[in-house]
Amino acid sequence: MNNPPPETRTDPDDETLPCGRLLSQVWADWEEGVHDEHTAQCAHCRLAVADLERLESQVRALDSDPAQQPVDAASFIDRVMDVVRLELRPGRPLPLGEADEDLRIMENVAARTLRQAAEEVPGVRAGSCRLTLADAPGGTPVNVDLSVHVPLTTPDVQALAQEIRDRVGVTAHERLGLHLGEIDVRITDLVSEDEDEAAPRSAQEGSAP
Amino acid sequence: MTGNPPPGEPPDVEGERSDDTLMTERAAEGDEDAFAVLVRRHAPALLRLATRLLGDRAEAEDAVQEAFVGAWRSLPEFQGRSSFGTWMYRIVTNRCLNTLRARRPQAPLNELPDLPAPAYTTAPDRITEGRAALHDVQEALSTLSPEQRICWTLRTLDGRSYAFIAKTVGISEQAVRARVFRARRQLTHSLGAWQ
Repeated sequence: MNNPPPETRTDPDDETLPCGRLLSQVWADWEEGVHDEHTAQCAHCRLAVADLERLESQVRALDSDPAQQPVDAASFIDRVMDVVRLELRPGRPLPLGEADEDLRIMENVAARTLRQAAEEVPGVRAGSCRLTLADAPGGTPVNVDLSVHVPLTTPDVQALAQEIRDRVGVTAHERLGLHLGEIDVRITDLVSEDEDEAAPRSAQEGSAP
Repeated sequence: MTGNPPPGEPPDVEGERSDDTLMTERAAEGDEDAFAVLVRRHAPALLRLATRLLGDRAEAEDAVQEAFVGAWRSLPEFQGRSSFGTWMYRIVTNRCLNTLRARRPQAPLNELPDLPAPAYTTAPDRITEGRAALHDVQEALSTLSPEQRICWTLRTLDGRSYAFIAKTVGISEQAVRARVFRARRQLTHSLGAWQ
């Protein structure tokens, strides 16, 4: 069934071996582990397969050449981040304190602080944290839209969401002096503990000295 | 990080993929520390990929660096339809393809990769038992067209499925199979003829 007649050749670079089989088919069968009686006995097919096998072993030797292997990626990573830090996106300035105070905090800095606050709740990992200015009289509160991953084993997801909301609200008020309007917590994934272990709380690594 | 990812699978671990989603969201919102986590996590595999595709460590570093910086710029528009790892794999592969295309005019004039390989069955010298030197393999690789080289490398060295390569490069699976076949034919001939 894997032995198309020569006239099915569609690639002009393909070749019909003297036994009538297409070279492309012989190699494809080898790659997919397809064996039949013909291939096992045909000298032409076996020769074609032997050539491909030698090629594969030669290039694997090339691939294991130590000169080809990245040795230490640390300096490379530093270089990439140096370029990235020349192009920061700090976001908009957000109002802090009372309406008559002229204090501002950059959106990014506030978002980072609020994510950290959410992550103080055990097992919670924070992702997107969008801050928008609410249109309200007597000041400009800021609405928060926070997405989080929480443990699969959480007994009461709603209670956990409320705990996150409380923690974010308190942090915004006490640590930043930011007036929050609505705090919207979206749970975007329930994560098993195995996954949690595989994903270290590494978001703050970059700011470590 | 050692070893190859399983064929056809993105190089993510399940837990890292979940965490990557969060880090990608943060980075899209301008959190450079989250982006640093992603760079640290994905740089080794991407450097290995680019080095395989280009055969040159310095060029590979340039390609991966440009890919990361480009990703940082376009993250706010990243829709998250694929994982960060898959997205970067695609960006790096296509950047390497462009690097190989730009490199072509400097290739020796006596090596014209687009000429059809001499008839396989009538090739005078088949690959012998002796192992070709590594630089012979590199030389042989340089005779491939950039498109052939990319498809062949992803298949043979990176162990990817034809379907995965088709999606990464943006061509049909049949076209990938044809390119890999032509690359193999060219390479077996080149290396055989140099014994």
